[in-house]
Amino acid sequence: MSAVPRWIGLPVAAVAMVAGTLTVQVTHGGGSYEPLRPAAACAERPATSRASGIEGLTERLVLIGLADAACTLGVGREELTLQLARSGDPTDAQVDALRRGLRSAVRQMKADGTLPRASELVDEVIDEADLNGLVKRLIRALPASLVDKALKTDDVLYRTIDDLDLREVLENLDDSSSLDAQVEPVVTQAVKDSLKARLRDLV
Amino acid sequence: MRRAVTPLLAVTVAMVLADSAVVTLALPDILQNLDATVGQVAWVLIAYNLVLGLAAVPAAMVVERVQPRLFTAGGITVFAAASAWCAVAGSIEVLVAARCVQALGGALALVGCLEQLVATRGERRGVATWVTAGVVGTAAGPVAGGLLTQAISWQAIFVVQVPFAVLAVPASLVVRAASARTRDRHRPAVRANLTLALMSAALTAALFLVVLLLVEGWGRSPATAAVTVSVVAVAAVAAPWLSRPFRPPHQVEVAVGCFLVAGGLAALAILPSSDLAWTIAPQVLVGLGLGLTVDRLTTQALHLRLPRARHAGWTIGARHLGVVVGLAILTPVFTGDLQDAQRPAEEAITALVIDAPLQPQDKIAVAKALGSALADQRGQVPDLAPAFATLDVDSADRPALTALQRRLDDQLERAANRAFRDSFLVGAALALAALLTLVRPPARRAS
Repeated sequence: MSAVPRWIGLPVAAVAMVAGTLTVQVTHGGGSYEPLRPAAACAERPATSRASGIEGLTERLVLIGLADAACTLGVGREELTLQLARSGDPTDAQVDALRRGLRSAVRQMKADGTLPRASELVDEVIDEADLNGLVKRLIRALPASLVDKALKTDDVLYRTIDDLDLREVLENLDDSSSLDAQVEPVVTQAVKDSLKARLRDLV
Repeated sequence: MRRAVTPLLAVTVAMVLADSAVVTLALPDILQNLDATVGQVAWVLIAYNLVLGLAAVPAAMVVERVQPRLFTAGGITVFAAASAWCAVAGSIEVLVAARCVQALGGALALVGCLEQLVATRGERRGVATWVTAGVVGTAAGPVAGGLLTQAISWQAIFVVQVPFAVLAVPASLVVRAASARTRDRHRPAVRANLTLALMSAALTAALFLVVLLLVEGWGRSPATAAVTVSVVAVAAVAAPWLSRPFRPPHQVEVAVGCFLVAGGLAALAILPSSDLAWTIAPQVLVGLGLGLTVDRLTTQALHLRLPRARHAGWTIGARHLGVVVGLAILTPVFTGDLQDAQRPAEEAITALVIDAPLQPQDKIAVAKALGSALADQRGQVPDLAPAFATLDVDSADRPALTALQRRLDDQLERAANRAFRDSFLVGAALALAALLTLVRPPARRAS
C-alpha cells in the first residue's frame, strides 16, 4: 500500500481554511447583512410621536393615514412616501387614498381611545388663533365638560380632512409657515361648522 | 552603479506592474478632481492594462532585434515621462491618454528589464527576480497608491515613480546584454497563460473591488483601506513559506492557489458586517492564492522557453488582458447592482426616518436634507454626514439624531455590501474557471 503523499496536506489545509472562514462568517450573519426590508403594504406599523398636543396628534394621524393609504394602493408605506416626495403632482388615486387613510386614522384613534378630547386641545388652539384677548379668556373659562359636549374632536377632524387641499399640503410640507397659513383657516372653519351643526342638533 | 542595477531594474518591474492597480484607491479622488463619471474613471485602469497587455508581445519581438539596453532605457524613459504627464493631467481624457503612453513605455521596460536581469544575474535568478518583483508590485500597488493619495494627493502616485524610473535609465545602460535574437523555438504555454489570465481576472475582483467597497461603500479613508488591503500583499509574500513544508508538485500548488482565491472571494461576498476585521481572513485567503499561483504560472510559462522575452510578453499579455476582462465583466455587474441597491436603501432610510424618535419638524428637516444628499450621489454611495451637519435640532434631540445617522450609515453600508456581492461571486467563479483549466484530459491510449 502506497503512503499518502506529503503534498496532500496543502489542499487539505486550504479546504480547512476556506471552510473555516465561510463557516465562521455564516454563523455570524454573513449572507444576511443586507438593507432593512420594507414591511409589506398592509403590515401593522407603529404610530407613535415624540410631540404632544396638536403636533403629536397630527403626526399620529399622518402615520396611520399614510400606512392605510399605502395598503389601499397596494404599495409599501416607504414606497408611497418616496413617490409623494418625488412627484410634484400626486395622482388622484394617491390623493383619494390619503384622504380615506386619514379618515380611517381618526376612526381608529377614536376606537382605541387615543383621540384626545376637544378640551385637551382647546388651550393650544386658542393660543394659535387670531382672536382678541377677551374672547380667548372667555373660551378658557368654559368648563371642559361643556367644551367636550359642544365640540367633538373626530367631527372637527373629519371636516378638516374633507376640506383640506391635500395636494397643496404635500407641496407645503417643508415650509411650516405656508402649511400653517393653509391649514389654520380650514381648521377654524371646521370648528365653526362643527359648532353650528351641534347647535342645529340641539335646536 | 553595478550593485544598484538589480534593485533598480526590479523596482522598475514592480512599478510597471503596480501601476496596473495603483490608482484603484485614488479613483474617488480622480473622479471628483477631474469631474468625471464612474464609467470614465474606470478607463484609467482599463486603458493601462489594455495597452500593456496588447503591447507586451510586439515589444518582446522588437527587443529580440535591437540592443536590449537601449530598448530598456527607451522604455523606462517613456514610462517616466508619461508618469509625469499623468501627474499634471487636467482632464480625464488627458489622464487616460497619458496612461496609454505610460503602459506602452511599461511594456518596453518590462521585457527589456527581463533581458537585463538575466544578463546580470543569470537565467534562473534573473527570471526569478523579474517574476518576484512583478508579484510584489501587483500585490503592493493598491496599498502604495492608497497611502500616497491619503498623505499627499492622487497626483503623488505618478510623481514618485519619476525619480525611480530616472535612476533606472542609467542602470539599464550599464548592463550590456547580448541581442536576444533566436528562432521561434517554443510555442507559447497556452494552458499556463490561460490560467494566468483567468486568475488575473479573478484577482481584479479582490484588488479592485475590495478597495472600492472600503472607500466608497463603507466610507473608510484611502489610508485605512490601503493598510487593510496590505493583508493581501503580506499573505502573498508568506505563501511560499506555507507551501514549502508540503513540497507540493507545481500543478497542486497552482490548483490550491486558485481554490484559495475562489474561497476568499466567496467569503468577501458574505461578510457579516462592515467591520474591517471581517475582511482580514478572506484577504489572507486571496493573498495566499495570489502568492501560490501568479509567480508559479509565470515561471511555468517561461521555463526553458525561447525566445524568453517573447514568452514573457505572452505572460504579461495574459495577465493584463485578464485584468481587462475582469474589469469588463465586473464593472457592469457592480455598477448595475449598485443602482439596484439604491431603491431598497432609500426605502430602509425612509422607514428609519419615519419611525425615528424625533420631533415631527425635525423629521421633515432630516428628510429634506437627505433628499438633497441622495439626489447628489452621481451613481455613488452617498455621504450623509454633510446632510446631518446642517441640521439644527434641540440639544435633547441630538442623541436621537446621532443614533439615526448611525443607523442610516449602517443601512448604506449594508446596501453597498449587497451591491458588491454578485461581483465577488463572479470573481470566485473566474478563479474556479482557472482551476478547471488545470484539469488535464486523460491521455489517449494507443490502439
